[in-house]
Amino acid sequence: MAHNDPMIWGKDLTKTIGTQAIVKGVNFDIPRGLIFGFVGPSGCGKTTTIRLLTGIYRPSGGEVRVMGKLPTKFTRRDREKIGYMPQHFALYPDLTVRENLNFAASIYGVGLGRRARIKQLMQFTDLFEHQWKLARHISGGMQRRLSLAATLIHRPELLFLDEPTAGVDPILRQKFWDYFAQLRLNGTTLFITTQYVAEAVNCDLVGLMVEGNLLAVDTPAGLRRSAFGGEVVVLKTQDTIESTQIAMIDQLPFVRAKTKRTDENEIHVVVDEASTAIPALVEWCTKQHLPVDSYQEYLSPFDDVFVTLIKKQSKDM
Amino acid sequence: MFRFLIRVSAFISKELAEILRQTPLILTLVLGPFLILLLFGIGYRSEARPLRTLFVLNNDSDLKQQVEDYAKNLGPQLIYMGITPDQGSAIRALRSGAVDLVVVVPEDALKTIQDNRQAVIHIYHNEIDPYQASYVEYFGSVYIDALNHRFLHSTTEQSQAEASSVQGEVHTARVSIQNLQQAMDQGGIQAGVSDKRQLVDKMEEDLTNLDTKLTAFDRMDPTVMITPFLGEIKGMANINIKPAEFFAPAVIILLLQHLAVTFASLAIVREQRSGTMELFRVSPLGSFEALAGKYLSYLIFGGTLAALITATVILGLKVPMQGAWRDYALVILVLLFTSLGLGFLISLVAKTEMQSVQYAMFLLLGSVFFSGFFLDLRYLSEPIRSLSWALPATYGIRLLQDIMLRGTSVNLVPFFALLGIGVGMFIVAWWLLRRRLQQEWS
Repeated sequence: MAHNDPMIWGKDLTKTIGTQAIVKGVNFDIPRGLIFGFVGPSGCGKTTTIRLLTGIYRPSGGEVRVMGKLPTKFTRRDREKIGYMPQHFALYPDLTVRENLNFAASIYGVGLGRRARIKQLMQFTDLFEHQWKLARHISGGMQRRLSLAATLIHRPELLFLDEPTAGVDPILRQKFWDYFAQLRLNGTTLFITTQYVAEAVNCDLVGLMVEGNLLAVDTPAGLRRSAFGGEVVVLKTQDTIESTQIAMIDQLPFVRAKTKRTDENEIHVVVDEASTAIPALVEWCTKQHLPVDSYQEYLSPFDDVFVTLIKKQSKDM
Repeated sequence: MFRFLIRVSAFISKELAEILRQTPLILTLVLGPFLILLLFGIGYRSEARPLRTLFVLNNDSDLKQQVEDYAKNLGPQLIYMGITPDQGSAIRALRSGAVDLVVVVPEDALKTIQDNRQAVIHIYHNEIDPYQASYVEYFGSVYIDALNHRFLHSTTEQSQAEASSVQGEVHTARVSIQNLQQAMDQGGIQAGVSDKRQLVDKMEEDLTNLDTKLTAFDRMDPTVMITPFLGEIKGMANINIKPAEFFAPAVIILLLQHLAVTFASLAIVREQRSGTMELFRVSPLGSFEALAGKYLSYLIFGGTLAALITATVILGLKVPMQGAWRDYALVILVLLFTSLGLGFLISLVAKTEMQSVQYAMFLLLGSVFFSGFFLDLRYLSEPIRSLSWALPATYGIRLLQDIMLRGTSVNLVPFFALLGIGVGMFIVAWWLLRRRLQQEWS
């Protein structure tokens, strides 16, 4: 596999179980060394897609390559490069935290430096204090952390994490994402599914999955732009903005969509690029004798972005 | 009250729905024991076990024909296996299980009886089961009684033949006396002196014969006359085995088989249920590595348990150990290996842990009935008996009884048969696990 080849590539990837199509003609082209966030509601086909990419499932149609190979034909060496954290806790409740990590290290053939690695991961996941506890006696959040530590034990090049932050408190969740970013810096590619759409902001690329269809794949900013037609600038003036003035703003060359009034002296303007549009807007207001109180780029919550994208998609269909 | 009933009804409907959705499990629970009892009923032979009997007798023995006639006509409980002059080969046949009894008839049996002593017939058996040994001893005494009866019958016939000759001699003597009287009455004594002399000599000879026979009869020991043959029954085992001691090896084997099967039967189905199999599918772990690891761990665990059980049986219950510990350990190891294979197969077939446990219990019940644990396999008819040889316990019980109670070394045929089954099960379990790991997850 050449360095520039995509880490994960799929074309018209389809999976039907029984008579139900779970994944419907999905296309992927994920470069190595970044975080790919796979976002979508529960039951939309995220886990099935991960199972297709890890070779657990055979595709019903289409093509898929992971690290340049068919996942169902992975060799042992290929599998040693992959880490997989399933959605549910899949370790041993009657083993201690440390014993579970030792087991995970063993099945990946980790020999030298195992003790140090286990200690490092337990410290990272705040499980060091609980290392002698049985996995059945630790909380659900701790079990997620234990699963994550077990997945990372062999320093994989490609990580598939199926909802790693589910059931984890917000502080630790952020810590997880910080660690994922650190892994990415070290060259690891991460394929992460999540139901928390707000987490998409932590990803380099985001795929939006709805009912087996991959609606969009883009950077978080790109998705925002897709959702709203461009970047959104919030403009607040000291005086009331007249309707005629809003109509004039809509005619400006860098404005991409109909301007929305949110208050009598506040509007949301969709522009090509906020950084260049803001000075132009301020200049236009000055010319119109409309004193500007404040202006800023509006970063809408990703929940709004996804709801908008899904609505747009539904309209198109 | 109404709410109480509603709450109770919640469990009634829930439990019934859960039970009814496990149809295979219910069928196994209900039909399994019935099936075992049915098979047992079909296979069980209630009549007394016939004994394959080999006689040791010189080819030129006077008794050869008689023994052969007796043996062939004694009844269905004795299967005549022939006559051999070689006692050593007969004992080897007994040890190998080719025959059930060896009857050694002394070379000089008739002479011994004529010398007014009982001829001792040695009957050898290889039973260690006290009940079977009692049966063989009883059968042996019946056989000797029958032999005595027949011998007495034939001797009486012979004596009757001899009595008629004695009667002839008495008749001749009477005729001689009459002739002598006639000659004396006619007064022709002088004329027939030599004839009269002959008549007197003949009379004396006849009376001497009669006297000899009566003297011999008079000297005869009544015991020897009534029971000319005495049976001495000997077992090949060097010790007197009590019932509790006899059952000890079977209990060890059955316990270890059940433990190994139960633990192994849960091993893979539990991985399947917990989702760790999904992790294995993505990991570089191979099916052979997973299975070998599981085998080794349970062998260590089973071996430790076996050591504890053995210590309890030997030190606590004072069950004798006649053979070598190395042989004992070897048999336990192979039994555990084969039982684990059986357990892993159950684990790969069962869908739930409850099903696995149920299958393991079903196997235990089958082993109690068909492994020879409480009923000698010779009381089972074919093809039911063949079922017994599918159970590791059947081989294990025999091997361990031989080592512990007979003091023999490992019997290679059942040992390698057990090992072969174990290897076969390992290969099938490996293939099934490999398929499971390659199959789509559902």
